[in-house]
Amino acid sequence: MSKLDGIKVRVEDPTTPHWVTENTRPLLHEIHHALQRLLEAGEVKTIDLASLPMGPADEARLLEILGVGEVEACIDAMGKSVIRETRFPGVWFIEHFNTDDQPMGRLIDITFIPTLLLSQTEDMRQGLAQLSLYLQTDDAA
Amino acid sequence: MPSKTLGESLFERGVSRRGFLKYCTALASIMALPPTAASAIAAALEKAKKPSVIWLEFQACTGCTESLTRSHAPTLEDLIFDSISLDSHDTLQAAAGHGAEQAREQAMKDNWGNYLLLVDGSVPLGNPGFSTIGGVSNLEMLQETAKGAAAVIAIGTCAAYGGLPKASPNPTGAVAVSDVIKDKPVINIPGCPPVPVVITGVLAHYLTFGTIPELDLHGRPLAFYGQSIHDRCYRRPFYEKGRFAESFDDEGAKEGWCLYKLGCKGPITYNACATVKWNDGVSFPIESGHPCLGCSEPDFWDKGSFYQALAQGQWGSAAGLGTAAAVGIAAGAGAALLARRKQHQAREEQP
Amino acid sequence: MSLLDFARGPGLHWAFIIFVFGICWRFVGTLLIARRIKLSTPRRTDNWLMGLKAIETRSWPVEEFHRVIRFQHYSGYIWHISFFIVLFFFQPHILFFKSILGISWPGLPNDVILVVGAIAVATLVALLGRRLSHPVLRKISNVDDYISWLVTTLPLITGFMAFAHVGGRYETLLALHILSVELLMVWFPFGKLIHAVLVVPSRFQIGASFGRRGVRA
Ligand code: SF4
Ligand code: SF4
Repeated sequence: MSKLDGIKVRVEDPTTPHWVTENTRPLLHEIHHALQRLLEAGEVKTIDLASLPMGPADEARLLEILGVGEVEACIDAMGKSVIRETRFPGVWFIEHFNTDDQPMGRLIDITFIPTLLLSQTEDMRQGLAQLSLYLQTDDAA
Repeated sequence: MPSKTLGESLFERGVSRRGFLKYCTALASIMALPPTAASAIAAALEKAKKPSVIWLEFQACTGCTESLTRSHAPTLEDLIFDSISLDSHDTLQAAAGHGAEQAREQAMKDNWGNYLLLVDGSVPLGNPGFSTIGGVSNLEMLQETAKGAAAVIAIGTCAAYGGLPKASPNPTGAVAVSDVIKDKPVINIPGCPPVPVVITGVLAHYLTFGTIPELDLHGRPLAFYGQSIHDRCYRRPFYEKGRFAESFDDEGAKEGWCLYKLGCKGPITYNACATVKWNDGVSFPIESGHPCLGCSEPDFWDKGSFYQALAQGQWGSAAGLGTAAAVGIAAGAGAALLARRKQHQAREEQP
Repeated sequence: MSLLDFARGPGLHWAFIIFVFGICWRFVGTLLIARRIKLSTPRRTDNWLMGLKAIETRSWPVEEFHRVIRFQHYSGYIWHISFFIVLFFFQPHILFFKSILGISWPGLPNDVILVVGAIAVATLVALLGRRLSHPVLRKISNVDDYISWLVTTLPLITGFMAFAHVGGRYETLLALHILSVELLMVWFPFGKLIHAVLVVPSRFQIGASFGRRGVRA
């Protein structure tokens, strides 16, 4: 028997702390304000969750409050990205992963549609060139 | 060979614009810039050239390198292969001995005046033999390598402030990089070890904008060290209300109350832990129930017990007080007796 | 060494040494100093009782002067009590005493301390205003009074700043707060603040000697 067995260890469930902080409230206010600005002046806003103080249960609580809306999109570019509209239209939750599927960032976008969902001009040009090439070779054949 | 810009090399690897933008968003996040900076980063990165990087390791425990290799966003591979060209790193490179020295000298020659010099570990001034690489003392190697560098980045508290080797009684006469290098910009990235993402974030800043980020009075990039742990601590509401854990297992600790009384140095420690967090953003010490040790501050080893609260004084002994009391009593008694004697004399002299 | 390191370390150490030395010196010196030779026969013999009584009666405004001195009197009480509450019942202060005395006691919630601290500062300001505007009081005030006022006010002001994190970085504010307390401790034995120690014995002495002469103290 090793000496370490003498140390009593009690495992508590880490996923559900029975206490909550009030850290989500100011953030919800910020989102509220941004949504107002979006409607009134068309101003878009992005909030980086990595820049905010968040306790263990805070983020889960925030996501619970934001809920799930009508749109969910998945992007596969340099790793996965999941873009979800929350139950408040105009408020989007975005999660980026790298090629190893490790989280790279979590953002809240307050916008009509997240820019990343739009096709990008550079990509479109490249696609156009490829399509032209295809048509050319097809015609030639 | 004219090196390609980062934009070109990514493009050639078939990375789409979306992927690139996403990468830039992640970079903005780790550079502690607002997400709107992503497009500016993208524009700058498209033109950026890979800088050559030389990494020197002096009196160090390699913890900082360990930390860097655990940087999650972007992965180290991304960073090294896409963004920088790490030409010489004593721990990570395969070459050893003279081969390693040659790699360093070659990189210096090829990029004279333009390479970044990264240093971890402190520099012993006591005896050159305390720490050498290939028979060359740390001091000599630092001075020589810094000559052709565009900037020097001191990674970890040892390189930034002397760290553990410099802790009292400092047997090796250890000093910080900035104590040796005076004629080059020195960026300090302290921490024991530094948050990995902060290391890559500072490199990314240099790579993107080609400039030295704004620094605070201890030479730390303000983007990461501009706010204290306490400023960004999620337990702060408990601090304001005066709800403190009194021990590591009392009710307060279980309720997640503030750790100030358990010695938390968060209020005087400037670092990014509270928001960036550790282990891929899982948690940070305070979130795990342990007070901040203040590892990114100069001389944090010598500030008394890690578990002594900030409000408590740090003083040697009560002996001084006893002596002061004794001397005070003696002085008071002496003065009184002197006054009595004078009064006595005055009375006798009266007719 | 940073400013905070100095304040918490050598600064505090020396402030305490000077504080303890000064108090011992003044206290013992005052106790042992020569008394006036008493040539008359005492009117009463229970002088010590009269001394004890004076400690009590002097704690309340004298009937005849009540109207004139009540402001000063009661604001004095408010100031002292609120000051002691902040000093002894703010939780970080209790930690500080614990590191010196080894014992601790329950503290008050921060909100309460904030209100009480604000009352303390307000009273101090009001008392200074009175000192400056009252012609007689002004005449009998000297530098000591103003320095004593300043060194007691500074810890309160810097304390508020450190608590609210306004006016600078926390380590600087905390250092300034501790340094201001050290200034108070260094000044304490040598200025009028020593009354905190001498008030009881001197009241006793006055009561006793008045009693001897048969005068109401
Ligand atoms: S745990 Fe530390 S950093 Fe967090 S609020 Fe308390 S004192 Fe500040
Ligand atoms: S919480 Fe404090 S001691 Fe811990 S790593 Fe961060 S700065 Fe260093």
